[in-house]
Amino acid sequence: MQKFSFNRRLVIIIVCLIVSFALMTVSVAIRNKKSTPPLIQQFGNDIVGLADRVVALPANGLRGSVSSISELLNTYQENQQLKKQVSELAQTKVRDQTLAKENKQLKQEIKLNDSLTDYTAITAAVITRTPSSWQNQVVINKGSSAGVVKNMPVMSGSGLVGRVAEVNKTNSKVELITDNNDSANRFAVSITTKSGKTVNGVLSGYKSDTGQITMNNLTTKSKISKGDKVVTSGLGGVTPKGLFVGTVAKSVGDDYGLSTKLYITPATDLSDLNIVTVAVTKQ
Amino acid sequence: MYRLSKMRFGFPIGLFLMLFLDGSISQVFSVHLFNTPSVMVSHLVVLWLVCGVLFEETMPMPLAKWAIAAGIVFDLYYTGIFGVYVFVFPLVVYVTRVIVKYISPNFLSGLLIYFIDITIVEALSFVASRVVHMTAMSGSAFLVNTLGPTLALNLAMFVVLYFPIRAVYNWLK
Repeated sequence: MQKFSFNRRLVIIIVCLIVSFALMTVSVAIRNKKSTPPLIQQFGNDIVGLADRVVALPANGLRGSVSSISELLNTYQENQQLKKQVSELAQTKVRDQTLAKENKQLKQEIKLNDSLTDYTAITAAVITRTPSSWQNQVVINKGSSAGVVKNMPVMSGSGLVGRVAEVNKTNSKVELITDNNDSANRFAVSITTKSGKTVNGVLSGYKSDTGQITMNNLTTKSKISKGDKVVTSGLGGVTPKGLFVGTVAKSVGDDYGLSTKLYITPATDLSDLNIVTVAVTKQ
Repeated sequence: MYRLSKMRFGFPIGLFLMLFLDGSISQVFSVHLFNTPSVMVSHLVVLWLVCGVLFEETMPMPLAKWAIAAGIVFDLYYTGIFGVYVFVFPLVVYVTRVIVKYISPNFLSGLLIYFIDITIVEALSFVASRVVHMTAMSGSAFLVNTLGPTLALNLAMFVVLYFPIRAVYNWLK
């Protein structure tokens, strides 16, 4: 009898393991290939998302009030600095408007309707974050009903923070570029060097101990120096051109001395996200 | 007994409240908790389940079923990879029940049991993530950067929340 129960326990453990691996493989395959999860999962996620807002809204509100009190302390200094910047910004903004208008007119002239730089923005609030050390992932409160589509780039503050990984009706999951899995941070980017040359490449990973994005396998001869700006190139897929990723922090030869490896300082603080913007390209 | 008590509704409400609080805590304190490379993950839902076993005593509860339900929601809503926590949470309940048979539960032994449970949760989720290529972290880096800080945070939470949760369970009974 003792032997029988031991065998039965072993069988249960093995069956559980096999089922677990099968489920994981299937869900990873669905996540990688399909544009939306199965309908049941979407429906469930929408309901859970609604319930979660009951808990998340007070928590996020509390956080807002606490941080606003702490920010009150150095408001005066900040205000003086910002005043200077505002006067400069007004000038830049006027010029920007003029250029944008001119650009539009020129595009009409050559009958070019949408170029790679055109996108519309969907603003979304972060509801919650995955409590897991393996996935740097946040849930935002806009889904397919607001026009979010899988693989769209997501920005916060001044720069790129990640891409949409899963879309439900009223919420969606965003994988941050700090996530080090196989697909999270492969963005096509370009760098304009000081000499005016453009270098194209693909982001390849995130170095968590220094907080820098890495970019491998660059075989360019042109010199990339510290401080060069990295922006998305708009090549391949739904990412528009010209989203700011970060600035080059270090340029070194790779392990075999054949290509260049770049370390990029991200443009925004990637651990502190409240409001994000999903960039929608016209297709 | 269980069918007639407040526990019948109180336990699941508390369970899902803890589940959502995990996410909200991770979001609100993300600057401090996900301060790379060392990462602290809050597991309040595991705390609620383990306390369920510790304070069960005379009133048996369908903890495994609710652990599976919490696991399903966790997998679908938080991670998007189905099939990890849906097995890990019931396993934690099972392991805790086996240990409680040999050690009478009190504050200190509860702390040790919770230590074992968090280690199981983190280790199994690490193995699963490695298998499906969610992470490329090495075993030693996992021990130093994730397991250590996570254990520290969760044991601190156990110390703080043990008596409040016991009061809640006693009120629900």
